[in-house]
Amino acid sequence: MLIDSILSGYGLFMTPMAIGLTLLGVLFGLVVGALPGLGPLMGIILLLPVAIGLPPVAAMGFLIAIFVGGSCGGSISAILLPIPGTPLAAATLFDGYPMAKKGRASDAIGIAISASAIGGLFGGVVLILLAPALAQFASNFAPPEYAALAVTGLIAIAVISKESLLKGLIAGCFGLLIATIGTDEFSTGYRFTFDSHHMLNGFHIVAVVVGLFAISEMAYQTMSDDLIKKPEIEIARPGFGSIFLTLKHWKNLLRSSTIGAFFGTLPGAGGVISSFTSYAVAKASAGPDEKYGEGAEGGVVATESANNSTVGGTLVPSLALGIPGDASSAVLIGALLILGFFPGPTLFEQQPEIVGGIFLVYLASNIFLLIAGILATPLFVYVLRIPKAYLIPIVLLLCCIGTYALQASVFDLFVMLGFGIVGILFRAANYPLSPIVIGIILGPLLENNLRRSLLISDNGYWIFLDRPISAILIIVNIILIAGAVWFALRGKAHSNTALMDKH
Amino acid sequence: MTIRKKYLNWLVILFLSVVIAVVFQQIFTSMTEQGIASGGPYDNAAAYPRLIAILIGVLIALQFVLSQFRSTENDSDELVVNIADLRRPAILLSIFAVYLTLLGILGYHLTTTPMIVSVMVLCGMRFSLTTVGAALVISFVLAYAFEVYLKVVLPGGIFSLNIPW
Repeated sequence: MLIDSILSGYGLFMTPMAIGLTLLGVLFGLVVGALPGLGPLMGIILLLPVAIGLPPVAAMGFLIAIFVGGSCGGSISAILLPIPGTPLAAATLFDGYPMAKKGRASDAIGIAISASAIGGLFGGVVLILLAPALAQFASNFAPPEYAALAVTGLIAIAVISKESLLKGLIAGCFGLLIATIGTDEFSTGYRFTFDSHHMLNGFHIVAVVVGLFAISEMAYQTMSDDLIKKPEIEIARPGFGSIFLTLKHWKNLLRSSTIGAFFGTLPGAGGVISSFTSYAVAKASAGPDEKYGEGAEGGVVATESANNSTVGGTLVPSLALGIPGDASSAVLIGALLILGFFPGPTLFEQQPEIVGGIFLVYLASNIFLLIAGILATPLFVYVLRIPKAYLIPIVLLLCCIGTYALQASVFDLFVMLGFGIVGILFRAANYPLSPIVIGIILGPLLENNLRRSLLISDNGYWIFLDRPISAILIIVNIILIAGAVWFALRGKAHSNTALMDKH
Repeated sequence: MTIRKKYLNWLVILFLSVVIAVVFQQIFTSMTEQGIASGGPYDNAAAYPRLIAILIGVLIALQFVLSQFRSTENDSDELVVNIADLRRPAILLSIFAVYLTLLGILGYHLTTTPMIVSVMVLCGMRFSLTTVGAALVISFVLAYAFEVYLKVVLPGGIFSLNIPW
């Protein structure tokens, strides 16, 4: 089944358009990843309107390649500036920048790109082996299991939100509510449409996501004082010898990639946690001569292989269950839905060629990352010199044209602006935005399966406890919330003690 | 002049309270009139949004209560935001809102270059021929890419201004 799926996807991938867009996606991902404040999610969002007009495998190749490139690009600015282009690369700064200060910037960038690509390929192997098995297991799921799983996905994201559990849950529920706007699938009644024909299908997810993330980010960027400053950066030219430098740390590479892939498969965990965990483990396992924090190659290998391996891991629950692991994979699921494909076991059963094509574009993205990343590094360094005063209007215009292009609707542009303001407000008050997107994606899955469960149930909500898998998932949800509350209270008690000691 | 983050949190709570009020207003008016606010799981389209709205209500009440009992010195909610820092984002959003309003009336080509120039000047660039030139280039390159390669017809406005590339 696995081989058949890949072989059937081979034809869809082996087209000049799919290969070209995958390469272009990697390059664009590296650029947005390198630019502080943007990152893979922003890259995917900006080009999502372009992608949804393309053939499915080419479109997914384009977006997944941006995800892959963007997850690595942040390391370039972390090493050279030293400002991590994305939070994913924050741990790369610990050893990447000291390497640059010692005159080894090219080596550091080369190692970061090589480790990212090799870690990403490891994540790809995990994706190819695990996703079909998980989809096979989930093919026995009925509506109660899907409803419980959707709740688990949402709670996991909220629990791991760096802000607070409560704020994460509120944001997630807000997303669930947004997903109810439009025509109800069961009764065909209109909900929250206010007699406007623009609202009959609800808000377009692209308009919402662009507003929440891109518009609010651009507004935040204008608050900085260095909008016209050109950073002074030396040109770095890594060579393919960096691959051998990276492979010298093969144990670290394997261990960190495993950690990355593991965290990727857990909804909500993501690349930031995996890169910091891998760094901590690598540092603890290192010999005394490897001076972590002072420019150790192993530090860069650990963080970069982990955060790119996470991408492969994240795609496992996204493709096999339709449960996004983070905001980026939520947008990828959104893209698949817009293209007319429903992630989950049915995708593996009914459209194996699409699954196979996605596997291939993911692997190709990492190979392109290795080659194009090393060759094109001077270009990314040049991009880092462009003042933000030019980038902000370009991003705003891309948001506008991209969102308008979806349905040729000015209404969508105002939806985007409205959610931009909501995004600014939520960020200012420390509410995470990712759970809103996850809520929008999981909303229809949750509601439809909840109502279907109640329709087939003889005793109402007890159906969720009568079925073993949904009962286990509900117990997991309770444990997740109880654990998060316990950790929050313990953290609070610690900080209060520290405060009392200070006084 | 500064504003405490705690008050921004209250603003979010207020916003969500309005959202909850709208949910119930719609359930009692529009959905009841359509006959989709009662019955079993198939017919009752209001039950699920009502459940979510109640859940949000409980969570924001909890959030509000907790924010009142938090210790003050080490809490991120007690951080302050400088009002002067919000000037540029507010102007940016205003420029953007005016742009979106005029986009449908005057079309892409008449509105985009002034919008880009305004944003660049807001970001600290001098109003000069270079700035206007850069804005024109950005505007036309993106229009060309979308109209020629992606076959998107950009808004022409009341003058139907579209370039036949």
